Amino acid sequence: MTPARTSAKASASAGAGAAPERPITGELRVPKALRIVEEPLGAGANLLTVRQSRVPLVEVRLAIPIGADQVKHHAASLVGAESLFAGTEHHNRASFAMAVERLGGYVGASIDADRFAIGGSVLAENLAPFLDLICEALLTARYPEADVRSDRDRVADEIVLSRSQPETLAGEALRRRLYGKHPYAIGLPSPSAVRRVGSQVLRSLHDVVFRYGGGHLVLVGDIEPAKAARLARQALGPWLDGLGRAAEPLPPVPAPRPGPLLLVDRPGSVQSNVRLARPAPGRGDPSWPAAALANLVFGGLFGSRLVDNLRERHGYTYSPGSSINHSRAGSTFGIHAEVATPSTAASLVETLYELGRFSLLGIEPEELESARRYALGSLSYSLSTQAGVAGTLVRLATAGMGTDYLSNYAKAIAKVSKDDVDAIAATLFAPTDLVAVVLGDASEIAASIGRVMALEVRPLGEG
Amino acid sequence: MPATRRPPSAAIAKTVLDNGLRVVVAPDPTNPIVAVAVVYDVGFRSEPEGRTGFAHLFEHLMFQGSAHTGKMEHVQLVERAGGVMNGHTAPDVTCYYEALPSEGLALALWLEADRMGALALNEENLANQVSVVEEEIKVNVLNRPYGGFPWTNLPSVAFETYPNAHNGYGDFEHLEEATLADAADFYAKYYSPSNAALAVCGGCEPEEVFQLAARYFGPLAGAKVPFTGPFRESPTPKDKHKTIRDPLVPQPAFAAGYRVPDPVACLQEYLSYAVLGAVLADGDSSRLRQRLVHGDQIVTDVDVRLGTFGNDSFSLRDPVLFQFVVFHPGVATTKHVLGVIEEELARLAADGPTTEELQRVAALTAAGHWRGLDEVLGRAVSLASTEIIHGRAELIMELPGLLTAVSASDVAAAAASLLGQHKAVLELRPAAGATRR
Repeated sequence: MTPARTSAKASASAGAGAAPERPITGELRVPKALRIVEEPLGAGANLLTVRQSRVPLVEVRLAIPIGADQVKHHAASLVGAESLFAGTEHHNRASFAMAVERLGGYVGASIDADRFAIGGSVLAENLAPFLDLICEALLTARYPEADVRSDRDRVADEIVLSRSQPETLAGEALRRRLYGKHPYAIGLPSPSAVRRVGSQVLRSLHDVVFRYGGGHLVLVGDIEPAKAARLARQALGPWLDGLGRAAEPLPPVPAPRPGPLLLVDRPGSVQSNVRLARPAPGRGDPSWPAAALANLVFGGLFGSRLVDNLRERHGYTYSPGSSINHSRAGSTFGIHAEVATPSTAASLVETLYELGRFSLLGIEPEELESARRYALGSLSYSLSTQAGVAGTLVRLATAGMGTDYLSNYAKAIAKVSKDDVDAIAATLFAPTDLVAVVLGDASEIAASIGRVMALEVRPLGEG
Repeated sequence: MPATRRPPSAAIAKTVLDNGLRVVVAPDPTNPIVAVAVVYDVGFRSEPEGRTGFAHLFEHLMFQGSAHTGKMEHVQLVERAGGVMNGHTAPDVTCYYEALPSEGLALALWLEADRMGALALNEENLANQVSVVEEEIKVNVLNRPYGGFPWTNLPSVAFETYPNAHNGYGDFEHLEEATLADAADFYAKYYSPSNAALAVCGGCEPEEVFQLAARYFGPLAGAKVPFTGPFRESPTPKDKHKTIRDPLVPQPAFAAGYRVPDPVACLQEYLSYAVLGAVLADGDSSRLRQRLVHGDQIVTDVDVRLGTFGNDSFSLRDPVLFQFVVFHPGVATTKHVLGVIEEELARLAADGPTTEELQRVAALTAAGHWRGLDEVLGRAVSLASTEIIHGRAELIMELPGLLTAVSASDVAAAAASLLGQHKAVLELRPAAGATRR
């Protein structure tokens, strides 16, 4: 090791010597609460509006919580999201797209295990015709056969592409381990199931999904909440009138049965995809704010313990990290790292060491202060754009959180103590009983991993 | 139709410090967040021969400590102030940036000035970051189907000269040969205030930024401005085609690159290609999506990019590629798909886009522009980059108007110019005998 040397440009050294002192970081500031206006729309559906008028746009999100029945129709749902705007009473795909784009808008649909969602954005002055177009699709989507054939083939092709990515494969293996028989365990459908989806199935699915009550419409941007409500009722009224009961929610996720580390063999991998996970406190849990800060310090920040160890001290990986992900039926703490093949077992050792150290010894006061400031600052950052506000609100609403969630969360973050963090870290970071998956070249890594953890090896496709 | 009023944040204030640092401010005091970007006029086109990937490796070293901050302390201080930060390396610029609550402005400027003034380098940190960069390349390229496609491999087909043709991520052997002396030389040559621009956007006032910039960056000495392009070369004298068999990819893909006019010297003409790209592939009603994806159904995805990554049209010097990037299931040959693209170009060259298409592009462009402005971090990076390349950050704010002024005949001429030149095609194919899963 060579002692540090400073590479000052010769001409700058005089200036560098006289450098001004580092400015002191200001007082901790809790972000100003958003002014969210909530309006019931009937059938348990509601409208959430925030006026944020830095730019003359409005972000539009519509999320409809779905239930266990839709999970059975996973392949159809994926195709349905592609074909929703492929043909309506008044438009074919091209003319619908042209109508949206001439408003300075874009619109898309997506599906996951919790909700069907429509998202878009439009020049503020064109919000009314934009909502009219969305309503037209909700009421009269036709799923034309030729378009559906094309869309299903494309979705199948995209699944083939996605399944070639090691991150996708590692994620699917992890979900199967974590969720067992729960619908969350279901990954992407097979391309052949997707290629069998027909128009009739999509029309039936549409009639079920888009009649569920309990949905959330979010409008954020350069618009008065009262005007937004009027436009929304005018444009979407005919659709709102037909809504029925909300979907039955999914059952809570079962407790995982971890078992040995699952090594999924991907011969020739030049890296290993390491995934460790376990259940975590949900947003409604009193320990959630402390868990959020604990995660930031463990692996959620670039300056976190995990990044410092695996990347900055050892150079095993480019982008290790950890996160807590919330779904309606359960929340999960997860660690991910794509590590150099020869360093796979060593990376596991270091990760387990960092987990154990945090679990046993807790957080340093300095770390807690950093995480607290980051949590509040990054919340403020994510709410500084219209798209950020809209995305955050629709996610929270779909998860069943009320409009006071964000301000309560910010206040709670400001008050979390070291004892709070240490208490949740003791169990959240305990190195025992984690669900563990590694995707990599078993011939290169199985022996060394076996010296660190019990493991079972399965070929790709049988995880 | 596109709104014409200017948002309050469209005003820009500028100054230049005595040492040559260009300072650009786009204030919006109602924003609780401020974004700071420092962009250096150096990218991978300027890295020395035998040192491919060095500009990017050097970007990593900028987080390893400087005169008054230890290794990774920059990161920790920004996060402790409630902020996010990152950096990236492009063909002609290297960008460093952070977004944080507005009371952190002084800290962010101090940190950027500290690493502009004096970098701390040692063997251990260099070796560590070589490993980290190699893992970055593995995760993004070597272990990933379509990884690095086409930005790491199309240039070697499209260009002849080293600055334009080499892979900016670099060869492992070059990365491993990099020395502290290389880093010190590179730093001295390119990382001076005279070769950089600072942009600050969001929650700030211009006077405050100018004062803080003078306090923190003012004491740094300027240096001789190095040559950093344009690295001009003649267009390819014949069609070029390269096929790579990749065992990781499940379906074929190809990128076809064409040359466009100098983005700085011929800005007006260059803008026609931005509109042409939007007519061809921006949105579901664009010509190529309608024809290839929904009509003929021979393509999974088609993208048209003006520039290396598509979002960098105004932070590149000549030569620049206009690229078609296509993923397809192989039901049609690459040659056939290219033929269809050329048919569509020929139709546009003959008739130009319709009024409706130009209105569509104008509305999408305006909306996209404002969406970009709403995000202060991205805006700071594009303002500083455009100040470096064009000498006018204002160009970013003027884009909607400039693009709306492009006429149907300008677009037709741009389409015709593509048809009249030789193209460079890079094709990725699954390994022979691979089966579809």
